[in-house]
Order: sequence, then structure tokens, then C-alpha cells
Amino acid sequence: MTITELATRVALSASLALSGVVHAYLYVDGYRDIPTVGPAFLLQGSAFCALAVLILSGGPAWLRLAAAIGAAGSLLAFGLSRTGGLFGFIETGWQPAPYAVLTVIAEAVTVLLVVATALSRRPRAALPTELSR
Amino acid sequence: MTDDPNGMTRRQLIRHSAWFGAAVALTVAGGEVISHVAGSAHAKETTSPTLRFAQISDTHIGFNGPANPNVADTFTQAIGQVNRLGYTPDFVIHTGDLTHLATPAQFDQVKQMMSELKTPHVFTVPGEHDSTDDAGQKYRQAFGAGTRGDGWYSFDIAGVHLIGLVNTLNMNKLGHLGSDQLEFVEKDVAGLSSDTPIIVFSHIPLFAMYPDWGWGTDDAAQALSYLKRFSSVTCLNGHVHQLFSKTEGNVTFHSGTTTAYPLPAPGQGPAPKPLTLPAGKLQDALGIREVSYTKGQQALALKERTLT
Repeated sequence: MTITELATRVALSASLALSGVVHAYLYVDGYRDIPTVGPAFLLQGSAFCALAVLILSGGPAWLRLAAAIGAAGSLLAFGLSRTGGLFGFIETGWQPAPYAVLTVIAEAVTVLLVVATALSRRPRAALPTELSR
Repeated sequence: MTDDPNGMTRRQLIRHSAWFGAAVALTVAGGEVISHVAGSAHAKETTSPTLRFAQISDTHIGFNGPANPNVADTFTQAIGQVNRLGYTPDFVIHTGDLTHLATPAQFDQVKQMMSELKTPHVFTVPGEHDSTDDAGQKYRQAFGAGTRGDGWYSFDIAGVHLIGLVNTLNMNKLGHLGSDQLEFVEKDVAGLSSDTPIIVFSHIPLFAMYPDWGWGTDDAAQALSYLKRFSSVTCLNGHVHQLFSKTEGNVTFHSGTTTAYPLPAPGQGPAPKPLTLPAGKLQDALGIREVSYTKGQQALALKERTLT
């Protein structure tokens, strides 16, 4: 493993952990009382923290793909909650501050890191040993 | 082993299964830990809530249609639910549309039914159905004791400042507060310290939930500007017959459901007409709301209960 790969793995794990911890904090802080959105925060928080641990431990590539899909889904949900509403819940701008901006940055970083990693590995992607990682 | 050179060996399959199992196990364990922390925090909050009250809304006594052939019966169920909360709420607030057609008989019926509520105080704000033909005179005769102006008021309980507003008079599609009431709000909160929790009741939302259907108040921004300096402001409303929440800076808005009949979600259909649900589904759409506030907490804790 190269230093770049290790750094990417650590950064990906950190961005997932940040998003997961913030969602867990907001769930405990009061979002748990919001129908549907509250349980979604709980699931997001626990799943992202689990992915952070497993990716840091050297888990397979599909964990990174799951992380990117989860992060993209979280960004989409954030966008919906600022526009048409998400399960009857709507917020304005970057509230609650600073948590909204932190999670958006963390999730955008997650998606970018996974995409960048996939693109950098693309020429070798057909190798059987690489597929099984 | 596998015949396909690009396929997965049994060892690889076992390894991936182990990673998947670990992901599921960690997610479940993490969820348990977070829930436990939230439960502990909640227990700490609820062991001694400073204030507990219930919200009922949009009972529409006098309505007669397929969406709910017996609104008195569902209102009775809602009253029973409040009385079975397991504690005596500090008060019950009815956020408007007590009646459907604002007749004296309907006001009498509502008043009589609400006297069954086991709580020291019942507060109300009028809905547009309560002031259809007389600018709210019959409403104020029945429920206006102790109020100011056209029925607005404020009071303090357990360190919380509560304001009941009337935004169903002088309407032009949207709800309207008017200059007298805005002046009342400005003076009413002027002497309060900024850390006083504020709760505002109104019938029509004080935020632009769906202005095309009149689900907003045209001069609410002025009223809310007087509340900007407060750290915790919560606005509870009825009118839209469905749960909906929104935050704007320091203000959180919560639309409550109804005990009568559901309305469509914003923009779903040409107009907000009563929805007739399949048999057995109505009570899932109706309900009451429990609200509690604990000193030191910024947000109110809300618990929605359906009539089922």
C-alpha cells in the first residue's frame, strides 16, 4: 500500500466519521422527535461510523462504494430538506449551524475521495486480484 | 474454488461475507449506543420537565361529510387521549377551527366537550371557520374572556412566555395579524430577557408553508422580527391538518394535525379539500400533540399521537 492510498483511506474514514458523529449528535440533541427524519439520522449516524471503522481497517472496495452512495444520498436529503421538504420536514439555509455545513463538506469529500480513488485504479480494475480487494 | 477465472473463490466469498456481517453488526451496535445515549438524555429531560401541555387542533365541530361523518366522536377520542396521558398537562391549547360554521350551538358544544379535559387551563385561538360571518364576535363571546384586542393574549407559566395570536381576521387569502396585534407583540416581549423561551400559538402558519393555498401569514415576518433576539422561539399552528416542521434561524415552526379530517399535502391537488381516506385509515391521520419543555433545553420535545 502506498502512502497516498493510506492517506486516502484515513481521509475517507475521517469524513465518514465526522458526518456520522454529527448526525448522531443531532439525533440525540432533538432530531429524534421528528417523524421519519429522526430515525433516518440514527441510521445514518450508526452506518457511517461503522463504515469509517471498517474502511480504516482495510475493508473491501464495495464498502467505499456504499460510503459514496450513502454520502450522495445524505446530500440529496439535505437538498430536499431545503427545497420541497423531506417527509414533511423543511429547514432553511445552513441551519443548524455549524453542523449543516460540516456534514455537507464531509459528505462531499467522501464522494470525491471515492470517485478519485476509482478513477485512479481504473486501468488495473480488470485484474482479478484487484476486483476481490 | 470456481470455474470462472474472474469469479470469486470460496475464501473470498467468506471474507466478503465477514466484512458485510461486520458492517451490519457495527451499524446495529452503533445504533444501540446512540439510542441509549438519546434515551438517557431524554430520561434526564423528562424526569422533571418544566412545562407539559397538549395541543389539539381543527376539531371542526359541525362538519358533516364523507371525510369524517362524526367529528364529535373523533374529538371525544382526542379528549380521552389527552386525559390518558398519564399526567395532568399544565394546559391544553386548541389552535383553532373549533367549529366548522361558527354557530352558537357549535361553540356551546365545543365548550361543553372541552370541559371534559383534565387540565387546569384550556387556551384557544380562533380559526377562520370560527369567524366566518362576524369577525370572531361569537368566538370571543365563548372563548375570549381575558383576551385583548380581537382575542390575542399572552401569559407566563414555569418561566416560559406564551403568546396566542389571531391571524384569521381581515384576511386576504393569507393569514393577517394587523398593526394593533403587531404592536401588542412588540410591547409584550420588550421587557423579557433574551433567554426566556417563547412559544407562539396561531391558527394559520406563521411561515410560508404554501401561500397558494393561503397557508402563510402576510405580516408574520414583522412579528417574528420582534422575537429574533430570543434564543428559543417555537411556533405551533393548526389549519393545515397535517404534521409539518420547519426551522428558520432561532424559530422552529410545527404544524399540528387535526381531530376532524385530513387535507392534501401542499400542492397535491387543485385545492385543500377534505380527503376521504379508505375505511379504517382515518384515525391514523388524526391525533393530538404532547409538548414538553425542560429548563436549560433550547428545543421543545414534541410527541405526536394518532387517535388509533
